[in-house]
Amino acid sequence: MNLRIEALPEATYVVPEGRLDFDAAPGFQEALERLLGAAGKAPAALIIDGAALEYVSSAGLRAVLLVTRAAQRANVPFALCALQPAVREVFDLSGFSRIIAVAPDRATALAQAQQGRP
Amino acid sequence: MLGWARAKVHALADLLLVSRGPYARAFDSLILGLIIFSVASIGVESIPDLPQWTMQLLRVAEIIVVGVFSFEYVLRIIAAPSKLGFIFSYQGIIDLLAIAPFYLTGFDARWLRALRLLRLLRVLKLQTHILETVVEERTRELREKNAALEKAQAQLNAELEVARSLQLAILPSAFPARPGCEAAARMIPATTMGGDFYDYIELPDGQIGLVIADVSGHGVPAAFFMAVARTNLRELAVHHLDPGECLAHTNDALCAQNPLDLFVTVFYCVLNPTTGMLRYANGGHNPPYVRRAAASVETLNGAGGLVLGAMPGVRYPTHTVQLLRGDRLVLFTDGVTEAFNPTEELYGAQRLVDEVHVHGSGTPAALVERICQSVTTFAGREPQSDDITLSVLTWGAP
Repeated sequence: MNLRIEALPEATYVVPEGRLDFDAAPGFQEALERLLGAAGKAPAALIIDGAALEYVSSAGLRAVLLVTRAAQRANVPFALCALQPAVREVFDLSGFSRIIAVAPDRATALAQAQQGRP
Repeated sequence: MLGWARAKVHALADLLLVSRGPYARAFDSLILGLIIFSVASIGVESIPDLPQWTMQLLRVAEIIVVGVFSFEYVLRIIAAPSKLGFIFSYQGIIDLLAIAPFYLTGFDARWLRALRLLRLLRVLKLQTHILETVVEERTRELREKNAALEKAQAQLNAELEVARSLQLAILPSAFPARPGCEAAARMIPATTMGGDFYDYIELPDGQIGLVIADVSGHGVPAAFFMAVARTNLRELAVHHLDPGECLAHTNDALCAQNPLDLFVTVFYCVLNPTTGMLRYANGGHNPPYVRRAAASVETLNGAGGLVLGAMPGVRYPTHTVQLLRGDRLVLFTDGVTEAFNPTEELYGAQRLVDEVHVHGSGTPAALVERICQSVTTFAGREPQSDDITLSVLTWGAP
């Protein structure tokens, strides 16, 4: 899996490309926790753009859950957006879309994240 | 006589060069000392106006050095498995060049004096010698380390194998005996330790609880969490007969003992074996299917709650479905529907529904076998990335 990171003034957008599975999950989690933990340089908001995310396994869901918690601890607004239908279904089925903000597009995601509601 | 002499020479070559014994080490040190000495003596010789006795001493020393080197060179040729191979190898050529100038120039053929410079090549001989010793030493160390690693790996594998059989042993082997009920299940772990499990729980009122669950990730941590989840669910199911209530309590218990932040998706249902009434609750798991006796396939997609272990205080609604005679309940984990084939295509829910629809009329064991085969055939050479678990129940079979 490849991670594209776009740091903009209003938010840092992370675009994971490929499959977020058992093998990719640790690297994904570490990269995002590093973004959140950057001393004095924490992003204004963290948005995961799922447009190029093809598949999420249970280990991938766990990584997303841990990143969500890290964002809460760092007080950084956090949301997901633009999930492909199959990936969206995984978030709905597991109940994750009820505790993590999942929006259709970046603008909505940013607004939801700033309001702190799923 | 000649044969005897040859045998002796071979034995000597073996003793001094091939074996790793004390004689070989002593001979090695001797050669090393002579190389260093001869390189140093070339330097001393170049000093102008040396006294006569020094020149003589150096000359005698040179004869001894070349004598020993020649002896070594001949021995190496004799000991080499391929004589020509050695003569034309890097080391063979260096060894020859280290002694050749002496034989070509004799003691003082002035026109060949320049060749004596070639003796400086003994530095190269020194280098190959040291290199050889270092490589040999490293090879030995590596061999020892590899052996130790292999031993540790074998021990670890043996322990994992035991853990795996323990884990498979806690999965129930038979469904509680109830007239008209027949069940079969199977779990195929992706790595040695799986995170999936299924269970049958005999409840105090005669009803039977059926569980299918999938812990996030796999390997040893998932296997531990699976054992904790299963134990909690079993204990709480006996006290909380309502499936939703049981999941809510299990979730709270898991959140309180979850240092690794793992979670588990659980579908839990309670069957009244007399009436065929099935009550269920879903904690983030793939909704199971009911195959009606008339072959239609329905999804048990009553609203569920969050996966267990992620957040305390979650509520799980309980839903009810009435099974009719000959209906089949098909529980599965996403290892079935999310099996990939070599072209990165997912097995998908539709293939599973088709199998259940077409082949669901036989025994539960036959359907489990049929689906497992369908998935493995589909996956082909693609390695299995997730545990595959299936549990099938028939109610009211004649």
